[in-house]
Amino acid sequence: MKLAALFTGGKDSTYAIHLARQNGHEIVCLITLKSQNPDSYMFHTPAIEVTELQAKSMGIPHLLADTTGEKEKELVDLERAIITAKWKYNFEGVLTGALASVYQATRIQKICFGIDLWCFNPLWMKDPLEEMQELLSHNFEFIFSSVAADGLTKDWLNKKITSEDLERLKLLNANNKLSFSGEGGEFETLVTKCPMFEKEVIITARMVMENSCTGKLIVTGAELK
Amino acid sequence: MILLISTCREKLSDGEFLGPVKRVVKDCVVKHFSEVDKVDDYDKIIICGTSLQDNECFEDIEKFLWLTTTTKPVLGICAGMQVMALTFGGVLLDSFEVGMIEIETLKENDLFRGTFSVYSLHSSGVNVSNDFDVIAKSATTAHGIKHKEKPLYGLLFHPEVRNHEIIQNFINM
Repeated sequence: MKLAALFTGGKDSTYAIHLARQNGHEIVCLITLKSQNPDSYMFHTPAIEVTELQAKSMGIPHLLADTTGEKEKELVDLERAIITAKWKYNFEGVLTGALASVYQATRIQKICFGIDLWCFNPLWMKDPLEEMQELLSHNFEFIFSSVAADGLTKDWLNKKITSEDLERLKLLNANNKLSFSGEGGEFETLVTKCPMFEKEVIITARMVMENSCTGKLIVTGAELK
Repeated sequence: MILLISTCREKLSDGEFLGPVKRVVKDCVVKHFSEVDKVDDYDKIIICGTSLQDNECFEDIEKFLWLTTTTKPVLGICAGMQVMALTFGGVLLDSFEVGMIEIETLKENDLFRGTFSVYSLHSSGVNVSNDFDVIAKSATTAHGIKHKEKPLYGLLFHPEVRNHEIIQNFINM
């Protein structure tokens, strides 16, 4: 089936593309919503501009659409972007990396059903630690592009996540300092290298911390190498 | 051993509809509905849901006729409940509910009680034959059914998302 992937550049949407291709589907375009609202309920915002390079590295056409990120209105912007992409690339379904957020997943399901598209969420309800373990075993490299949870301090930002880091995250989770069970948002990620990328994404960035456990990367430069 | 049955036309949908149930059940055998001929070697059977756009299992309803003869406990989730109703002469109705909704228990049963919040994702509901009792409902449609004589349960909502204890209650039944 020809699919469009809702793409944030993070581990979930990138891994969903990998799984869809493994199941014989063709990803004909990537759709990214660039939200002006850093607190958007729907859209990932840190390092979103890097998606253009990631798409280039995968050789998949990329549609980048702007949204003000206002609650509910941003859904109209998403629907418009999907319709525009469908007209251009003629796909039968939409692929997302939705993992745990009922808010995000149900809104995308409604949009897809309304315009007669299949909706695929292959990571739905997957344990995030198990997912990250799988990503490392499939040679995905990713960094945290934002953190917003107790225990996730500045040193987690812009750091390539390793198996040792997963052990540290498991400990934080076991000590109830970090919960993976909610609607997400404890951290956002950026994939810099994976088997689907022809070239690695190299970024330069500065960190902006709101407090000791909340902060994000501001990308100041990016290139494919 | 529990048999988990996929109703998904596309294998990519299994991650969404079968995977979360499998994580609750843990030890199980997984089969696609088209491969299931006999179920009596298993202790219990769970028929999982599928995508809103996927109608394949309804077009192949004879593949579920084992439901009419088995004496094993069966839990049908969403499309699983719909095929259960259809094999006993029920019909599908238009019913579009997506997201968290409130469910009210209508009849005492082994899986749940009271009023509670569930995740729903369906574009059809069911009108069941006289073989079934409706044991739960939302504001608009039947969300739980139970065969009057056999241990056959159907849920229109998805307990694998926010109500794992219901699947656990079925396993422990």
